[in-house]
Amino acid sequence: MNQYARMIIVLVIISMASGAVLALSYEATNPKIQEQARQKLEQSVLVVIPGATLMEEVQKDDMTFYIGLDDEGNKKGIAFKTTGSGFNGPIEIMVGYDPKEGTLLGIEILSMTETPGLGAKIQEEPFKGQFKGKSVEDEFIAKQDVEAISGATISSTAVADAIKTSLAKVVEIYPVGGDF
Amino acid sequence: MQLMKDFVNGLWNENPIFKMVIGICSALAVTTAASNGIAMGMALTFVLTCSSILVSILRNVIPSTVRIPCYIIVVATFTTVVDLFMKAYFPALYEVMGIFIPLIVVNCIVLARAEAFASKVSVARATADALGMGLGYTWAITLISMIRELMGEGTLFGYQVMGESFTPWVSAILPPGAFIVMGILVGLINIINREIAKRTQSH
Repeated sequence: MNQYARMIIVLVIISMASGAVLALSYEATNPKIQEQARQKLEQSVLVVIPGATLMEEVQKDDMTFYIGLDDEGNKKGIAFKTTGSGFNGPIEIMVGYDPKEGTLLGIEILSMTETPGLGAKIQEEPFKGQFKGKSVEDEFIAKQDVEAISGATISSTAVADAIKTSLAKVVEIYPVGGDF
Repeated sequence: MQLMKDFVNGLWNENPIFKMVIGICSALAVTTAASNGIAMGMALTFVLTCSSILVSILRNVIPSTVRIPCYIIVVATFTTVVDLFMKAYFPALYEVMGIFIPLIVVNCIVLARAEAFASKVSVARATADALGMGLGYTWAITLISMIRELMGEGTLFGYQVMGESFTPWVSAILPPGAFIVMGILVGLINIINREIAKRTQSH
């Protein structure tokens, strides 16, 4: 066989086989990946709104809100996603907010690519726990009213800034003391 | 016997990390926690073994002029499969490993073994070599990551092992720590090898 023809045929066959394998693995894993993502979202909403057992999705002013409800259907708070720019890339945060009191209920880091052992500590309780009970009036400045992780000021600031910026927008939609 | 020799080769004599010093980008980057080391090692061993077997099977089919693109397609396919399955079934692990799983594609160990070994020998020998190299890589980066985690955070596999008075040396889990720890280990292994050589000579 002509060596050029052989070269092309082999490459085409290998590429096609590879494409088929990838398509099959994608088909096999995609439902599971979607399910994982959905579960993770619901879980994070329920974590940032203490007492909530169910969530309801609401679209308002091109923002998506997740309303946390307890077993009796009482509204326990709202949650929303925000993104900060961290040291290595975006940091996705779920924020729980209580419009009645104008305070944060808690935060959860959804995804991030910060340095393991340093910036990645934004996912740990000592850091994220401090946002619980913070008021919308607070400054959210790292090293002042927000305790920064030592060696990871950029990551800490990114989280604080992202929450502060998005809160300003959220407060316009759900004013403090108002109904939700 | 030959198979055993091929297998052991990667574990010590030609250990990819400590002796050949290839594929160290991932070895330096993910070794911040012992569990990352093991997970990365297992992922690489899987990709390396699968691609070595396939490259060995296809060694008489692939024309030498297009062998590199063919190897890359094979390696990239297996890596993407690992990536997808890890995302679906081990999401927690996937989050930690992040970008380094897709980067197995450009890990020089995989391509080097395909090019230098698997494409020239039988499937059995290629498998033995890939497993040896994979496990050699795994123990090497697990050792590096254990030392770094212990020094940088005072923990091992996430468990606190150092006492209260221990002050973590944060640099150990930063990039410079990776170079320092790896450099010291390479040096130690060279000393051990020299001692072994001396003993066998004097006997």
